[in-house]
Amino acid sequence: MDNLINNLGILVYATLLYTAPLLYAAMGSCFSEVSGVVNIGIEGMMTMGAFTGAAVAYFTGNPWLGFLCAGLSGMAFALLHGVATVKFGADQTISGTAINFLAPGVAIVTAKAIFNSSDTIPLEPTSKMPILFSGVFSSGTPWSNFMKNVFSTYASTYLVFVVLVVVWFVFYKTRFGLRMRACGEHPMACQSLGIDVHRTRMICVCLSGFLAGLGGACMTMATSNQFRPTSIVGQGFIAIAAVIFGKFRPQGAMIGCLLFGLCSGLRVVIGSSSLNISVQLLSMIPYVVTVIVLIFFVGKSHVPAANGKPFVKAK
Amino acid sequence: MSKLEKILQSAFFRTLLSILIGFAVGAIFLLAVNISPVEAYEKLFTSIFSSPKSLSYCVVYATPLIILGLSVAFSFRTGVFNIGAEGQFVVGSMAACVVGILVPAPPVILPILCIAAAAIAGALWGVIVGFLKVKWGINEVLSMIMFNWIAFYLSNYIADIPLIKSDGNAEATKNVQEAAMILLPESWIKGLGLCNSASWGIFIAAALAVMVYVIIEKTALGYRLKAVGYNRDAAEYGGINANLSIMTALAISGAMSGIAGATNLLGIGQRIAIFSAQESYGFQGIIAALIGANNPLGVFVGGLFYGAIKYGGSRLNIIGAPSEVVNVIMGTVIFLIAISHIFNFRLKKKKKGGDK
Amino acid sequence: MKKLIALLLAVVMCLSLVACGASNDTAADDAATNDAAATDEAAEGEATGETIKIGMVTDVGGVNDQSFNQTSWEGLQALAAEDPTFEVSYLESKTDADYASNLQTFVDEGYDLIISVGYMLADATRAAAEEYPEQKFAIIDDNTCADLPNVACLMFAQEQSSYLVGVVAGLATETNTVGYVQGMVSESMNQFGVGFISGVLSVNPEATVLQYNVNNFADAPGGSTAATNMITNGADVVFHAAGGTGNGVIEACATNGVYAIGVDTDQSPLAPEYVLTSAMKRVDNAVQDISKAVKDGTYTAGTHLYDMTNGGVDIAPTQDLLTEEMIAAVEEAKAGILDGSIVVPTTAEEVPEFTLANAE
Repeated sequence: MDNLINNLGILVYATLLYTAPLLYAAMGSCFSEVSGVVNIGIEGMMTMGAFTGAAVAYFTGNPWLGFLCAGLSGMAFALLHGVATVKFGADQTISGTAINFLAPGVAIVTAKAIFNSSDTIPLEPTSKMPILFSGVFSSGTPWSNFMKNVFSTYASTYLVFVVLVVVWFVFYKTRFGLRMRACGEHPMACQSLGIDVHRTRMICVCLSGFLAGLGGACMTMATSNQFRPTSIVGQGFIAIAAVIFGKFRPQGAMIGCLLFGLCSGLRVVIGSSSLNISVQLLSMIPYVVTVIVLIFFVGKSHVPAANGKPFVKAK
Repeated sequence: MSKLEKILQSAFFRTLLSILIGFAVGAIFLLAVNISPVEAYEKLFTSIFSSPKSLSYCVVYATPLIILGLSVAFSFRTGVFNIGAEGQFVVGSMAACVVGILVPAPPVILPILCIAAAAIAGALWGVIVGFLKVKWGINEVLSMIMFNWIAFYLSNYIADIPLIKSDGNAEATKNVQEAAMILLPESWIKGLGLCNSASWGIFIAAALAVMVYVIIEKTALGYRLKAVGYNRDAAEYGGINANLSIMTALAISGAMSGIAGATNLLGIGQRIAIFSAQESYGFQGIIAALIGANNPLGVFVGGLFYGAIKYGGSRLNIIGAPSEVVNVIMGTVIFLIAISHIFNFRLKKKKKGGDK
Repeated sequence: MKKLIALLLAVVMCLSLVACGASNDTAADDAATNDAAATDEAAEGEATGETIKIGMVTDVGGVNDQSFNQTSWEGLQALAAEDPTFEVSYLESKTDADYASNLQTFVDEGYDLIISVGYMLADATRAAAEEYPEQKFAIIDDNTCADLPNVACLMFAQEQSSYLVGVVAGLATETNTVGYVQGMVSESMNQFGVGFISGVLSVNPEATVLQYNVNNFADAPGGSTAATNMITNGADVVFHAAGGTGNGVIEACATNGVYAIGVDTDQSPLAPEYVLTSAMKRVDNAVQDISKAVKDGTYTAGTHLYDMTNGGVDIAPTQDLLTEEMIAAVEEAKAGILDGSIVVPTTAEEVPEFTLANAE
């Protein structure tokens, strides 16, 4: 029983740890996709945010300033993507792929220019993302261990759920949210109603880059304390998968991210037990479970009708 | 339209401009790391053109990119974005590796068996995704991302099986038998001064390019696949079985990605290491497809270009320049190609501007 | 079609443009003569002893891996800084297939010594060494090429430094439970764990060692989770040999206020208050030694063992967190290893026997 409580605590801890960066990026992806712009450049934007966050926090000593700049740097590349796809009607997949090559390249070359290494200098504890309830729960009994593990998570993790509520509100309770979703389904109809489709999509793409940048910063400012070229390896694509999993809804994407995080935690818990299973097979768990859950519980997802199609203004 | 204007309007000029701007952007980043761009680009190009050996290395590097590019281009033309080429490449390599280690067969036969195994494995990896899509409506992009990682760990799992694993202390498979290798005859390699890894792979790539062209442009199958990709509902109305078409397209695309893995293994790799990170061949294949505008001949040329830049670019380390500059250059080039239709050079307009 | 021809021309033109701009390079036709000239130049340089060119090929970890690639490169850079006759450069390998072509490049450019970093390069190094018997090579962490007359195999007794940090961990733990997180299972990786466990048990036979293999060198959250799991199960010192995954291990230790032990380099800067010590592998010393040997003409092939006796492995110089007792125990263990009274096991099978012998 004690063991079970311990394991449960670890699972919650791991789930939150894996979920936070994915969920920021996934919410970003939601904005972009729902407004009708495919953004596979999320991965590159996360990498840029991961670098900028760690670098700015190192120089200013202020984690929140670093976090903000991480978002802005992601947004800068999103702006490129937006200008190409929304303004000039470029192929969205091509532009996104270009960003995925460009942004990590820029991040690493800039790191080499500033730090003379592809890694940034590790952050001091004071310039790192704070842990809110550090020291509130002591270890000892299984339940206090449980509480300690559950609450030894970073401020950015709590923030992601606050942002989620805000994003949900924007999506479903504001005029902008309605317009944005309409732009992804029937851009022509939107234009006839006087909605500026290009402007709406541009805002959404920029928001997606901002959130992806925040997600990247979680990896280098919270989970770890420096940027390395291996900081972001595929998280952007997992976030995109979570969005498709969640049927392009932020709350659905959250479930996708939580599921993925839970499975990653499960891998460690099972791996540490006495069961003798190949570690390679255990490592597959998150990916296999995602597919299985899709087959049995989620099924077909509705892709926004105008997703991926450039919108040319009628004159 | 004058002759000059025609040139300025052509895709040729646009692509050239994209590449030049790409190098210019790369130069800015080189300056940021205190490297002279002239020196760096000189190193890049001398690394590529210094000898038949280096040129043949570029071809060797380009071969898997060309074949993957063809695979991705084929899928693009049939309305699917094969982001799963990475996984198909990995399972293809592993299938070829297992056959190349275990099956006792003579030269010529063995490589054919290896490549066939790779094609089947890659096709299977593609068909699974297609099946999930047509049976349960699961988005192919999502399942491909998942299957890329499943392939990654599956390959590591197989490489760790005692029968397959290296006897030495390397974290890799055994080497495939010499008979499985598709290297060019030694007399050619020595005579022409090529690199030791020069293989028949590039000819396989050329043959596949022709095959893709024929399937897409000249056969009824290609017509059906394109029709479904263009407008699924219309194609179904026209009596085409859309589900079957999607599975077929993914099988062909997957088989090619698998073959790309086999040629890489049987040409240079000879073994598969236990991965610690994805090798990203799939995404490099996407780049080759994009440079080549999804046209088989274009992909062939685009793959060669990318392979050369990849080989030459990695030599930038020697003069202390970060090889990641290549990613900046290629990212910029692709980005500019994506928006190249806005480079609209009308001579008349220019003249007007001049008059003012 | 037109587009394609255009593209082709664009590529050619672009390339020739830059090629023309370059001063001493003309075209592929003349490349052969250029190549020959370059080789002559290199040979001349060697004869007059003006510059000694040392090239290093990384494994797929890259040059900033915070492990042996990085320490090798830092060693070479320090060497070039103190002695300008050395000219050093590196080539990064992105995939397993890059090793051969990277080695070939250094051979073609007339380098005096080529250093392969890591046992993964063993096959490629052997092939290159057999093809170019005049070329001097060195390889780190591999002993299979020791039979070749032109490959120096630089081996490290990593179990010894792991043993020392194990001694520290065994004394530091109050819960009698320590953890070990590994990045991947392999013969040389396992030696870290074996040395560590032996060290822990030598000073604290009651201790339990929790182990976990994350199976990834780049999964920081996985490292955090594994370490937190160990800490929850009572561990209060966690050692890692897991590259980037180790960042997560150290982070989780700092979060929970327990000690972490770093690997390869002095990882104290990652969390100065919590990184107790690190097991250092002085690959930098080894590459400097072999480079100097090439310059002095004393280069020898075969196995060069780097252990405690010649400063090849050691415990980190940062000892702020160590108690007097720990430092004394480490010194004692060092002395034991040096005089041969302690022979640290290298495989898991030897551990129980070693521990029993030690207890008596």
